[in-house]
Amino acid sequence: MLSRDEAQVVFFTLEVAALATILIFPLALAAALALARYRGAGKGALETILSLPLILPPTAVGLLLLEALSRRSLLGSWLAAHGLEIVFTWKAVVLATGVMSFPLLVRSARTAFEEVDPRLVGLARTLGCGRATAFYRVTLPLAWRGVLAGTVLAFARALGEFGATVMVAGNIPGRTRTLALAIFHDNQVGRDDRAVVLAGVTVALAFVALWTTELLSRRLGGRAEE
Amino acid sequence: MIEIRLELPLAGSDLRVEAELPAAVTAVMGPSGAGKTSLLEAIAGLRRRARGRIACSGAVFLDTERGVDVAPEQRRVGYVPQDAGLFPHLTALGNVRFGARGDGGRVETAIDTLDLRPLLARRPASLSGGEKQRVALARALATSPRLLLLDEPLAALDVELKERVLPYLMRIRDEWKVPMLYVTHNVGEALALAGHVLLLRNRRVEAQGRPLDLLSSPGLTGEAEAGIENLLPGRVLAHDATGGVSRVELQGGIPLSVPLAATRPVGAPVMVAIRAEDVLVSSAPVKGLSARNVYEARVEALERTGIDVTLMCALPAAPSPWLARVTPAAVEALGLKAGQPVWLAIKSHSVRLL
Repeated sequence: MLSRDEAQVVFFTLEVAALATILIFPLALAAALALARYRGAGKGALETILSLPLILPPTAVGLLLLEALSRRSLLGSWLAAHGLEIVFTWKAVVLATGVMSFPLLVRSARTAFEEVDPRLVGLARTLGCGRATAFYRVTLPLAWRGVLAGTVLAFARALGEFGATVMVAGNIPGRTRTLALAIFHDNQVGRDDRAVVLAGVTVALAFVALWTTELLSRRLGGRAEE
Repeated sequence: MIEIRLELPLAGSDLRVEAELPAAVTAVMGPSGAGKTSLLEAIAGLRRRARGRIACSGAVFLDTERGVDVAPEQRRVGYVPQDAGLFPHLTALGNVRFGARGDGGRVETAIDTLDLRPLLARRPASLSGGEKQRVALARALATSPRLLLLDEPLAALDVELKERVLPYLMRIRDEWKVPMLYVTHNVGEALALAGHVLLLRNRRVEAQGRPLDLLSSPGLTGEAEAGIENLLPGRVLAHDATGGVSRVELQGGIPLSVPLAATRPVGAPVMVAIRAEDVLVSSAPVKGLSARNVYEARVEALERTGIDVTLMCALPAAPSPWLARVTPAAVEALGLKAGQPVWLAIKSHSVRLL
């Protein structure tokens, strides 16, 4: 069984991953749509920047975030002046996991948006939809599979985030310690049995997330193909 | 009145169209790549690089000089692309309702006009080509459009389906009285539906005017596809049950025997369809033939249509020429040339009532 502290870590991890996924969702969809539809200068650069967190070592991303938020930086001093403490708080965990998950959601959603025939969107416009309504009534319903898959992927990635989190949020028990950090910590202090239990929890969580998606996708998919 | 002064950059060369079209049905014709679809998309507001001025019955859609470029959702133009463009995630009903304005009245009328009741619960993937076109037409009509843009609504359909969908188009024209731009390759459709023809070639207007005046333009028949070339309005005169025929009077008082169609009330207006290859051509008066319908006519023009030759034959009483398709061998054997008298024979069973 899980101890009280371990249970807290599990719930904290779930909360943080969910919050990060919710926060990046609108931004990632906007970026995905821009990449899918926009044809012009700067597209390649934008694509590369958005994909960087996929390839960079997570610790490097974490370090960059830490630098950006430190009191010496412009952003960091502005935030401090407004009383917003991010570094080494739960907010930093959300930020780090969100940044690392972002490109995964962008990639899936972008592929899904690219498969929507732009002529259908144009037709929706002639039928009285503004841009936003056409997106909501045509693009999103036709791309929802890819968007859902990307969201689950982003959530799962957020559950397991380690490197960026440890850099920008530290490993503070009861405050910023997530499952991935707790596993590492237990192993470091020789509590391998607890580390294995927590690892088992992560397997179970990932399994449930993927299985739910599969079921959801099959049920909705079946209806769409009637 | 539809006013178009359009410049649209396209790969290759720009599309330039200057035209004033009556607020009725205009057939847009011309070879593939002439710019027909691009013209419709520019009018619908889907081509952002369009320049110039487009106005429809007083509503200005585009006026580059005055900085006007109305968004597509505010133009109230019903656009039906060649493949119908139905939303695959919605049922037929969901599609028809998609852009509906006001209460459900327009939707209901559109559904009835196009006989969609049995199809409403079905998804586009399970509809036939003709059914998809009808759903797309109803979807456009339900928005109360100022203008309908139809891109070859019958092209993807076989002849039988064309015959089934065409009457719906005529109903829309006659009952809804929405101005239409109607892209087609088919001279018969243009004659049957349109009062005006806009002929495009190489992204320019080659000719425009009344369909009859343009009939001899090479662009009009050069690209003709298999279809119904002769579409003739008329009315039912009488039924002869023992003879197995109904008698129809075409415009100009021309009599025509058709297979018994007792369900059509006497006096009812009908549209008669005769395919050009079903018209037999003789260079001498015909006697002792089983065909019920024989007419004296004169060859006005010969037009090469693919391998075959299309004859435009003037009947003294008919307001427009009839089209007959023959092989080059037949032209040779009969010595057919413009100005020559011919006799046209049509079996009753080659005639279909729409």
